[in-house]
Amino acid sequence: MTGQPAGMEREADPSRDAERVAEAAGAFDLWLHLSLHLLYDSVTREKVPAELLRLIERDRGRRQS
Amino acid sequence: MHSEFHGQLITLLPRLRVQALALARNRAAAEDLVQDAVANALAAQDSFTPGTNFAAWMHRILRNRFISTLRKQRDTTDIEDLPASLFAVSATHEDRLVLKELGRAVNRLPVDQREALFMVVLQGMSYEEVAGTTGCAVGTAKSRVFRARRQLQSWLMGEERAGTRVAEPARDRQEAKAARHDRAAAIA
Repeated sequence: MTGQPAGMEREADPSRDAERVAEAAGAFDLWLHLSLHLLYDSVTREKVPAELLRLIERDRGRRQS
Repeated sequence: MHSEFHGQLITLLPRLRVQALALARNRAAAEDLVQDAVANALAAQDSFTPGTNFAAWMHRILRNRFISTLRKQRDTTDIEDLPASLFAVSATHEDRLVLKELGRAVNRLPVDQREALFMVVLQGMSYEEVAGTTGCAVGTAKSRVFRARRQLQSWLMGEERAGTRVAEPARDRQEAKAARHDRAAAIA
């Protein structure tokens, strides 16, 4: 069916296996990158607590005066 | 100079909050960590050299603060939080399941791997910057990110690799199985 002699289809090909592993890892890394951004970018868009900003602004004012 | 310092600090706050979550895993603890790190940075601002990497300097303070807090309160990270984006209405049920599982898996990573992964993927830092911030060799920084990625792949894709497979809690097994199926279909 594959054009190869009988029994050859199942013969291990280490270089092809390594390629397949690398391809899977590459696809997973891309998915991981996108998914981590999907998960955590919302945190960067949240409003920074006013108390934190006041702490910084108070110090800025004190140093400038 | 002071005005510039404060401006840089305010600009960096959103990224610091994500990195604090990488370290503490718990929202309340992460907020406290950022607050303490900011207070430390304000107190130590004269030691910052203008023109050098402010983000790296600030991440070092955050990290040192985390280590020092961890020594005092070992039980603060018992409760782990997942980002609120999991509950975003735009995500499909399957997407939410997959992201939920990813969030849990990320929280199971060793803290040094999770920290390095967040720095590279979410903060866009180079391996050199990660190494400089965390006080390790560049090769170690690369290795941490590599191991984090492969560990997550192993857990999430259900790959059986000696020494890396971690049993899922019984209550999550069914949900995780469904999520893996959805994710494998999405990646394929």
